[in-house]
Amino acid sequence: MDEQGSVAGMVLSMTDVGFAYPGEGEVLHGVDLELGAGECVAIVGESGSGKSTLLHLAAGLEPADAGTVRLAGQALAGLDEAARTRLRRAQVGIVFQSFHLIPTLTALENVMLPLELATDLDAALRRERAAAQLAAVGLGDKAGREPEQLSGGEQQRVAIARALVHRPTLILADEPTGNLDSRTGEEVFALLLEQVRATGCALLLVTHSDDLAGRLDRVLRMQDGHLQDRAAETPAT
Amino acid sequence: MSLLLVKAWLRDWRRRPLQRLLTLVGVVIAVAVVLAVDLANQSAQRAFDRSMDEVAGTATHQVLGPARGFDEVHYRDLRLAGWRDSAPIVEGPARLPDGRTIYVLGVDPLAEGPFRGAASDIGDAPVQRLVTEPGTILPPSGWWAGSGMAHEDRLALETAAGRFEVTLLDRAAERDEPAAESDDEGGSLWVTDIATAQTLLGRPGRLDRIDVRLDEADIDAFAERLPDGLELVPVAARDQASRELAQAFRINLTAMSLLALLIAAFLIYNTQTFAVLRRREVLASLRLVGAGRRALFGVVMLEALLVGVIGTLLGVLVGMGLAQVLVGQVAQTVTDHFFVVAVTEVTPRPLALLAVIALGVGLSLLAALAPAWEAARAASPGSLGRGRLERRARRGLRGLAVAAVVLLAAGGVILLLGIGGLVGSFVALFLLITGFVLLIPLVLAGVLSGLARLGRGQTLPRIGVRSLERSLSRSAPATSALTLALAAAISVSVMVGSFRDSVEQWLGQALTSDVYVVPVAPAAARNGARLPADWGEPLARIAEAESVSTGSSQDTPSDAGMIDLFVVEPHPVWLDYLPLLRAETTGAALDQRLRERDAVLVTEPFAAHHDVGVGDRLEIRVDDGRRMFEVAGVYRDYGSPQGTVLMLGERFYAGTAGAEEVGSFGLRLPDGADAAVVIERLEAWLAERETAAMVTRPGDIEQESMAIFDRTFAITHLLRVITLLVAFIAILGALMALQMERAREFATLRSLGLLPGGVRGLVVFQGAVLGGFAALAAIPLGLGMGWLLIEVINREAFGWGMDLRWPVREIGETVALGMGAALLAALIPAWRMARMRLVPALREVP
Ligand SMILES: Nc1ncnc2c1ncn2[C@@H]1O[C@H](COP(=O)(O)OP(=O)(O)O)[C@@H](O)[C@H]1O
Ligand SMILES: [Mg+2]
Repeated sequence: MDEQGSVAGMVLSMTDVGFAYPGEGEVLHGVDLELGAGECVAIVGESGSGKSTLLHLAAGLEPADAGTVRLAGQALAGLDEAARTRLRRAQVGIVFQSFHLIPTLTALENVMLPLELATDLDAALRRERAAAQLAAVGLGDKAGREPEQLSGGEQQRVAIARALVHRPTLILADEPTGNLDSRTGEEVFALLLEQVRATGCALLLVTHSDDLAGRLDRVLRMQDGHLQDRAAETPAT
Repeated sequence: MSLLLVKAWLRDWRRRPLQRLLTLVGVVIAVAVVLAVDLANQSAQRAFDRSMDEVAGTATHQVLGPARGFDEVHYRDLRLAGWRDSAPIVEGPARLPDGRTIYVLGVDPLAEGPFRGAASDIGDAPVQRLVTEPGTILPPSGWWAGSGMAHEDRLALETAAGRFEVTLLDRAAERDEPAAESDDEGGSLWVTDIATAQTLLGRPGRLDRIDVRLDEADIDAFAERLPDGLELVPVAARDQASRELAQAFRINLTAMSLLALLIAAFLIYNTQTFAVLRRREVLASLRLVGAGRRALFGVVMLEALLVGVIGTLLGVLVGMGLAQVLVGQVAQTVTDHFFVVAVTEVTPRPLALLAVIALGVGLSLLAALAPAWEAARAASPGSLGRGRLERRARRGLRGLAVAAVVLLAAGGVILLLGIGGLVGSFVALFLLITGFVLLIPLVLAGVLSGLARLGRGQTLPRIGVRSLERSLSRSAPATSALTLALAAAISVSVMVGSFRDSVEQWLGQALTSDVYVVPVAPAAARNGARLPADWGEPLARIAEAESVSTGSSQDTPSDAGMIDLFVVEPHPVWLDYLPLLRAETTGAALDQRLRERDAVLVTEPFAAHHDVGVGDRLEIRVDDGRRMFEVAGVYRDYGSPQGTVLMLGERFYAGTAGAEEVGSFGLRLPDGADAAVVIERLEAWLAERETAAMVTRPGDIEQESMAIFDRTFAITHLLRVITLLVAFIAILGALMALQMERAREFATLRSLGLLPGGVRGLVVFQGAVLGGFAALAAIPLGLGMGWLLIEVINREAFGWGMDLRWPVREIGETVALGMGAALLAALIPAWRMARMRLVPALREVP
């Protein structure tokens, strides 16, 4: 318990993390990041600078080559694929740029999926919870639609509901508005933030928009594989 | 065509070796399947023919003359006129020094090849010596044991022409082989060269008969050539039966070969279209950078050609190897019993090779054609997206279903109206099979969406089922191929089972008696050859028989023309052995009716030819004039194509003194009696009679035939192996395709928390769904095919049916095997999928 004590309250902590794709140069090196419970942090940076890669490491989709990544206090390095998956599904919800809904399931079923995978609620309760979450993102009336029958904004709202439904402690969102027009993007972003605040989980969000980033608690810039505090980087502003 | 283009296209072999290899393997297996089935069919056919020949010989007709024989010049004339499938015979009884009767069969070993197992190993030492050394003779191999004689000993034979010294040749000694164990086949048939037989029997320059094998079409032409005094007659009923069975068997195996072709076509089409479709993005990109449509098309077709040619060549090798291994089992047993080993040499027939090359190369090209053209035409990678393709596939479903219904209807009409005879029936069979297979995608789609609806709330299974449904253009052809393969295996089980039963029944009739006593007479006189009827009592006493039966065949006038009438005094148990099809009554009641009232039984072909049924009446001439007889029943018999009427002696001789002579005696021995000892005693008694007669034991040959028959059907094992392979490749291909197409979905699921084990379970579940569907669909298709082959096509061809046997156990095994293979095949993509790296699969498309 001592170990956990040292990172108490930290939902995600990355220390001196390095990573390279097989056969390519290093994408991340010396990345440090601490995310407290309920904290909302934005990451900005140029395309190809490694933002998505960072999120993938945080979610435990890939193991880091160097340094430590801790999710909810637990180091990922010592875990095998299955254990990382279990930790991820308990602690993390992910929102992708291009939604990644399961095309063969209805909106409601997509939202039920994490409950089915991560909890042992019975079917009726799962359905009830998912329906409530779907209603919370304003899609209560479209529960039976398949993703192809929904607009982009609606699809991303389903994805948000899916990321939140099992009450994770951390939401990872990779340019969630990147595939949406600006107005819809604005709406979806507002909804995501509102939902995250309402459930009290932490948020790590990658975006291109300084405006959106500015509305979060903290903004970090990804540059040359490093994370820099934006304030530190641009003292003039 | 630029080299760079070729490189760009073929580089995929390095990038995804497993998938490209699968394409090649698809062609290899398809070609191997067709070839192996054809080869196995050939050798099963040969083995079947051999065992049948051993029972009955392969001659279809005999040329007979007057009882004293005819000039051998006629034989030479026939051969010079081009009738090569003919063998001259001089035959007759002789007595050994101990008084026993033997039967001398003088043959021309050089002409005998096709006719009898007993003298057909041309070029082997004993036959050479028979020809080159006058006065040599081959006793049956079972004779040596109790004779006290040895190879090359001399023995005195007594015949109608006098006493002769002959030199005995022992096959085993001549070939340096241990004597065959308890091989008393052939009974008292002593084989010698025709010249020796002519001397022994006192008939220099004369023949008793010429055995010939004639096609249906040649019979008339042949009969016309015969000089006056000689006539052409079909061989005895028993021999006819074996040939009819062999021919029916051949027809059914042909159907199997064609079916294998169909399965292979599916397999190749499936893997080839997949290979091209898979890389449509590469094609589209090449097109974008300015590659000409023609050049692209050429490069795709070049690859298809390469795959086709290499796959076909490898397939031919694999197919021959496969056949060799599996056929070895059949050949082994056949060699054990006969001494000709033609069966092991499996060489593909030119026609089969041609078909296989056309299939392997042609279909590879054809299958690549449509997608290549389409992809090369496409302007952008997105324009031919999976979704559009699948939507089109689903629209195609209705078209397929319409085509299927049309084919099924056409097949049904042809069958019902009996258009086109045997060929028509085959066409109908294939229309029906194709129709059924074309229905599979629609039914599969329906079943999958039904399953998906059923599984509401069961999110994961639903994902599995729905993604199968969405990738119907992948899953449907694979399922069709698997269904066809399983159905083929099932229908072969039905066919083999039914044949086996029929052969068993046919042999079973001969097994009613343990031992027969028959007259010894040359063929020309055989129909009229008789034994004294009063032998019955002493024979029974000497043999300590439970009962004695007699039987005599004769041609008799009736109101249905000349009929073959078989008059019997049967054993009390005879009805237990008679395969009755329809009868007024059975068992003791039928026996009583046949004894006490004027009633007869007729064979199935007789009933068909003369359009008579149970309860009809026939006027038949019997011993004391013409009387009306009621048909009390119809029984199964393959003996005479024209049919036979069976009457009990009591009715034939009713009101007269009874029979003075009979055609043969049958003796039933008590359980545990030593037949060999009984035969010994009977032969000793017969040796003192005036009338030449001999003892035969049908049981040995018949029982041996049954054993051989069983082993002949190692071909069913081959079909099982093929089923397994097809199931494996089809499911593997479909699931690999699915895996690639749905990689992002699976990665998403993994990111949401699905464990690697869960992914494995999901893919295996998909394999199980496809395998299970195919198995269920294959049962009605396979049974239907079996039924058509046995009941419709066979009846069409021969006028008789077989008892349809539903091989429940084999069906269960086949289905389990198919499922097992499908699951096994699912393991590979399941394993790969579970180990998939998530990040590349989830990466955003810019
Ligand atoms: N699966 C992969 N294999 C190889 N290289 C990759 C892969 N994913 C991303 N990269 C490379 O890693 C770098 C960082 O990518 P990414 O994390 O997606 O950047 P961002 O999200 O900031 O645009 C880029 O140069 C990209 O080309
Ligand atoms: Mg990115």
